[in-house]
Amino acid sequence: MLKINNLHVSIDNKEILKGFSLEVNKGEIHAIMGPNGTGKSTLGNVLAGKEGYVITEGTIEFDGKNLLELEAHERAQAGLFLAFQYPIEIPGVSNANFLKASINEIRKSKGEEPMPPNEFLKMMREKMELVEMKKDFISRAVNQGFSGGEKKRNEIFQMAMLNPKLAVLDETDSGLDIDAMRIVANGVNKLHNSENAFIVITHYQRLLDYIIPDFVHVMYDGRIVKTGDKSLALELEEKGYEEFELIK
Amino acid sequence: MNLDTDILEKIMPTIKNSHQQHSLQNAINIGFPTMKQEEWKYTYYNKILQQGFSFKTAEHTQTSSITKEFIDANATSSNRIVFINGIFHNEFSSLVNHPKINFWNSNNATESNTVEFLVEINNALSTDGIFLEIGDHVIVDEPIEIFYLSDNNQAIINLKNKIIVGKNAQVKFAEYAINTQQAPTYNNIVTSINVAENANVEFYKIQDGGAGFYSTDNTFVQQAAKSVCNITTLSLSGEIIRNVLQFDINGERAAAHMNGLYLLQQNEHVDNRTLVNHNVANCESFELYKGILGGTSTGVFNGKIVVKQAAQKTNAFQSNRNLMLSNDANIYTKPQLEIFADDVKCSHGATSSQIEDSELFYLQARGIGKTTARGLLVFAFGEEIVEMIKPEALKIRMEKRIAELLNIEF
Repeated sequence: MLKINNLHVSIDNKEILKGFSLEVNKGEIHAIMGPNGTGKSTLGNVLAGKEGYVITEGTIEFDGKNLLELEAHERAQAGLFLAFQYPIEIPGVSNANFLKASINEIRKSKGEEPMPPNEFLKMMREKMELVEMKKDFISRAVNQGFSGGEKKRNEIFQMAMLNPKLAVLDETDSGLDIDAMRIVANGVNKLHNSENAFIVITHYQRLLDYIIPDFVHVMYDGRIVKTGDKSLALELEEKGYEEFELIK
Repeated sequence: MNLDTDILEKIMPTIKNSHQQHSLQNAINIGFPTMKQEEWKYTYYNKILQQGFSFKTAEHTQTSSITKEFIDANATSSNRIVFINGIFHNEFSSLVNHPKINFWNSNNATESNTVEFLVEINNALSTDGIFLEIGDHVIVDEPIEIFYLSDNNQAIINLKNKIIVGKNAQVKFAEYAINTQQAPTYNNIVTSINVAENANVEFYKIQDGGAGFYSTDNTFVQQAAKSVCNITTLSLSGEIIRNVLQFDINGERAAAHMNGLYLLQQNEHVDNRTLVNHNVANCESFELYKGILGGTSTGVFNGKIVVKQAAQKTNAFQSNRNLMLSNDANIYTKPQLEIFADDVKCSHGATSSQIEDSELFYLQARGIGKTTARGLLVFAFGEEIVEMIKPEALKIRMEKRIAELLNIEF
């Protein structure tokens, strides 16, 4: 589904990703762990198509397409989803209108008609239950006045509405209390199936108690330095990232 | 070049009423506004007159092609007062029947001695307008909608309104200026509103005349104790629009609210000037004007708050925020505070900003193309003003209209 090969990325002439490679197949959950400043968020942003990054080397293939040729919205339309670490607030645009615009633009890109309003509302109610959102959420402005936990739940809710092929969760667990983390993880687990895939970027092991990864990758200084199964996450929790200092 | 006041001298013989003659003479003495005057520094008045508008009183004999269907399609209330080409049209107008609501469709000219050229011109040349008294304790449920329409008209449309709202009364107004003719149209409107003790007035001004629309508006509000008056000005489309809004707060514990949204594209020009005189203690004024400026448009905002020595414990807030969509758009903003009392809370500020890349990216990451994403963010910026519109039907209509102007769909 996703093939990243020897990716080198710079921002403001500073190289952040230094030969990053990763292959993700459908049905898989990959966790990417690593200390601050190793390029984890850069990876999420580059995958989603944020401007300002310079790709100096390497390729990204998504579903057979050259991802780097697509604009951010085209990547989303192709089935890639980024759950933001810091979701923005959009005062004046309700969650319902925002998602209606989103879903209908994605449908339009596939030559489909807009979703009928009743079908949209029904889907919205279903998915709201999944992340335990209150009823007034529909009419509230996107993320405006939301707590940190609500914003993250909203990301998972949007993911559920858009039903992507590949979702990248950028430190979705940061700033969450244990209840919010359980809700977020539950959302991911319910959406996970044999046709889609997840990349969970996280700083701590604790999210991986709830979302069980097939692979755990350690990211250090702009590339993957070690790959293992879920036991690697526990090992990291215990020993920290010190041993990788030597590799650098 | 300065315009010659000869054209005003020439119409003097056509003016019969001595008060109006007096006003015309005042206008001649003041002279046409020029950009050398501080209040007209950024607005080129001659450009309006270059469209060829004539100075004369409106003709009552003219006919109009505007239909009742057109009014129905543009109204949200059954209370309507309709003017076409500066003339009141009774057949399109209706107002709730109430023994304590008195309406006349004209004002007798009165002695006027202002220094405002346009106010004097209005007094000299207006025949029609609203004279409305809302009696004490009267609550008008549905908004009173006022339409300024034009078709087949080359003269400046001068309308003079006086609205008197009695004690404890509550009333809402929505004023629409729409250009329905192919040729340019120019409205010069003067409105004075007296708000008695504990009364509540909401007044929405919607200026949406599109190409060829010119407007100069002077609105004066007098507020008595414990009254609340809210004036919202939405300048959505037009070539040159200038709004002068003045509040005199004369009774304690009164609140004045001014909200504004100007949406400028292409070469449009909007000039908003507000003045709040806090004459007595314990009052508040709140002012938020937001501008969206694209193309080669120009916005001007000048907000002045005067807190007199007696006006202790005044709470005044003023903010002007602008979203610049183009490198060629201009905003000239000038907040002014003059405070003569020592125990007050006043703040003011002005900003101009652009759409943030991080915001755009968030929407794009949800599959929304750049154009629509921009539209949504611009809409969101304006919505802060629009969502304060209390009559629901009017709010929805304005949201739709703004979405249409920004080319976005919901």
